[in-house]
Amino acid sequence: MANHPAVLESSGLLSEAQLAELGWHLKPEGLCQDDTCVLVPDRSALVHDEGVDVAVLADLLDRPVVVDSTAGLVALGSPRAARRQALRELTAPDFSLPNLDGGVTSLSDHRSKKRLLIAFSSW
Amino acid sequence: MIGVAIDENLEKLRELTADVDFPILVDADHVLTELYAISNVPTVVLINEDDSIAMPNWSAYGSNLFSEFTGVEADRQHDRIRRWVRDGDAGMSTSEAVAAVDDLTADEEAARLHFRLATTCRDRGDAAGADRNFDRAAKLAPYDWTVRRAMMPLRGQDPFGETFMNLYGEWKDAGKPYHGVRGY
Repeated sequence: MANHPAVLESSGLLSEAQLAELGWHLKPEGLCQDDTCVLVPDRSALVHDEGVDVAVLADLLDRPVVVDSTAGLVALGSPRAARRQALRELTAPDFSLPNLDGGVTSLSDHRSKKRLLIAFSSW
Repeated sequence: MIGVAIDENLEKLRELTADVDFPILVDADHVLTELYAISNVPTVVLINEDDSIAMPNWSAYGSNLFSEFTGVEADRQHDRIRRWVRDGDAGMSTSEAVAAVDDLTADEEAARLHFRLATTCRDRGDAAGADRNFDRAAKLAPYDWTVRRAMMPLRGQDPFGETFMNLYGEWKDAGKPYHGVRGY
């Protein structure tokens, strides 16, 4: 799901495979996902011999990022555009999560119905 | 209705929702707290048929069990929900709804990322990494219950015990910050 955050094994550079896992591909037109492409103004800042710079990638996609080099992990957040869509445009961004029945449920599974979403916890 | 547990404890969640007949989703990675700028639970969002948000992040309750604690009258909230279901009007204007929820700060975003790094480290047997990231998350978003209280059971602390009471005191002193509507 395009809106979802990810944690990857990396110390700051992503492989082509990891980029693909995130749903993005580097093409001459730029950074592309399905029919959408994001322009890459400075290719050399993004693409290195050893991989794609995750901080530059995050900036291009307007997603928060944290690199934990000690743990060898990178956490990439959701696109800020998706959250702004919720807060400023009042349009509910879609998401998919596992349900207690062992399946996966998306908000969009129930489109065209009124939905009362309740975030709760056991803590 | 769709319930999303900002939680990973399946056993507790099954217990809690045993009598529930609507979908219960498990958001162990706290996807929703970032996507919808949720900082505490319960948080209710009313979503119309066309995906427009009728009422954003709302501290609404199922009963008056906690009303002395929260100062919230659940019955009036239920009336508002019923009106929305019946007439399609939750009683909040678009301009009010747009202004109602503050966006996450860069620190609050980063706190969520560190929380996910912490649980990933924990899963990989990296206890030091988990601790380091949980500590960082707590520093970055000290008044965010989905960060500070949610991590308590994951660190062997009682979310209903002294550690929580201390958090509650800090949060109260800070003016009870909450990414959501007030007075509804």
